[in-house]
Amino acid sequence: MPFTETDHADYIVLAPTGKFNMVSAPLLKTRMDDLVAAGKARLIIDMSSVEFIDSSGLGALIGGLKGTRQAGGELRLAAPGDQARAVLKLTNLDRILTPYKTVEEAADGW
Amino acid sequence: MTEKIGIGRYEAEAIAAAGPSRRYDRVVRLAQAIFGMPIAALNLIGHEHQYTVSAIGFPTGTIPVDDSICRVTVQHDETVEISDLRQDERFAHIPAVLEPPRIRYYAGVPVRGQSGQNIGALCVIDLVPRRMGKQQLEMLADLGALLEHELAVQEEMDLAGTVQRQMMPSQAPDIAGVEVAGRVQPAREAGGDYYDWFVVNDAADGSRRLEVVLGDVMGKGLAASLIASEVRAVLRGHSRFTNIGCAVTETSRTVSNDLESNNKFSTLWAGQLDPVTGALDYVDAGHGLAMIVSNRGSRRLTQKYLPLGMPVLENWAMATDVLAEDEILIVVSDGFFDTLDDSFEKVDEHLKYVLEPGLTCQQIVDLIVDYAIAHDATDDVTALALRRIDPAAPVNPTETN
Repeated sequence: MPFTETDHADYIVLAPTGKFNMVSAPLLKTRMDDLVAAGKARLIIDMSSVEFIDSSGLGALIGGLKGTRQAGGELRLAAPGDQARAVLKLTNLDRILTPYKTVEEAADGW
Repeated sequence: MTEKIGIGRYEAEAIAAAGPSRRYDRVVRLAQAIFGMPIAALNLIGHEHQYTVSAIGFPTGTIPVDDSICRVTVQHDETVEISDLRQDERFAHIPAVLEPPRIRYYAGVPVRGQSGQNIGALCVIDLVPRRMGKQQLEMLADLGALLEHELAVQEEMDLAGTVQRQMMPSQAPDIAGVEVAGRVQPAREAGGDYYDWFVVNDAADGSRRLEVVLGDVMGKGLAASLIASEVRAVLRGHSRFTNIGCAVTETSRTVSNDLESNNKFSTLWAGQLDPVTGALDYVDAGHGLAMIVSNRGSRRLTQKYLPLGMPVLENWAMATDVLAEDEILIVVSDGFFDTLDDSFEKVDEHLKYVLEPGLTCQQIVDLIVDYAIAHDATDDVTALALRRIDPAAPVNPTETN
């Protein structure tokens, strides 16, 4: 799988690696859906190992945000790189997918 | 014997004319490897020629249909096996048997086209006489069916791409005082990028305006193109009755279920230009890639709104600007932006050529799209250019690729 998963009890960290695109995005989306269905709706996406995110990757994040919110949780983005930040800013998606500097910061309050 | 090919010959000629496709190569390679023979090929049978569109161990190209073996296979429903071509009076005299490579063994399975008639055959060929077992012949038939499927998918995709291209305007709009051009280069046959333009009548004062749109639905290929068609049509409808801000908001409401249920979103930039005054109303729905360029510099026409299809309620309101007579509006998709490292500095520097005197809007969008193609764009690439011209000037017809 092109991502790692760490269960912190109160929240789960998913860390996709490499290119977050049409190929890998559906895999992460499916895992997020499964976690939300299992009652784990506090998700942190650790973006620090993502080299490149395209619109399919953004789509998976938006889908994850929607799923977690509907289940009373939240999806937070941690440590996006320059390219991911630029894309989030260009599309104004940083308004709803607020980037946190680190996983620890993203987990604050959980 | 009933005719098995007939109209299939026209289809074969059309596919051959479309050029080689790596899709067929895979199946041909598989056939060659499975049967361990020196030659495997997909031959299409036209009225006068056989077209070898994919082959291993044999050159692709064209031969007279009378020198073909597959011309006989296409008259059958089932696999044709000829254990020694030299002993078969139908083929003993053809060049491939008489001269190098002096082929001896042939097994071919007819391949059907969209018409249901045969268009050609997948064949394996050996240089020594032999005979295949029943199981092997069945396997060849299976590969033929796989190839039929590949051909059908390719044709469907090509048709979808054609439909999408036809939906984008290629004629100058029926309004004086503007020059506009657009071009899309989809990464696949069809895609999620599109541009549009059409004339709208202002509800308040009856003035005529040109609306231009560039949309980018997330993802690539047929799935994205279906959603793009919907967003385009709905925005066209709403734009007739209200200002551009409300039109985008209403469009979002109308398509939100289809976008969200498919996990898609669409960035969109839409503007309405009054050619007389230069007044330009616009909405930037998370697109971010519209700019006005002139010798006096460039400015971006952006807003902070979200794309369409987000799981939050958004109300898009229009912003206003003025397109001066010496300015050009350029809107591009991120497929172009990516080839300039997503850098606005590089885009500004790169786009300086749009100000060269004498360039038409069509030449400008061609320069933009061709640059992205030459720099290995992996995404759909779209560009749209608009400027005001002397309303008395004759309408400059634009052509789109």
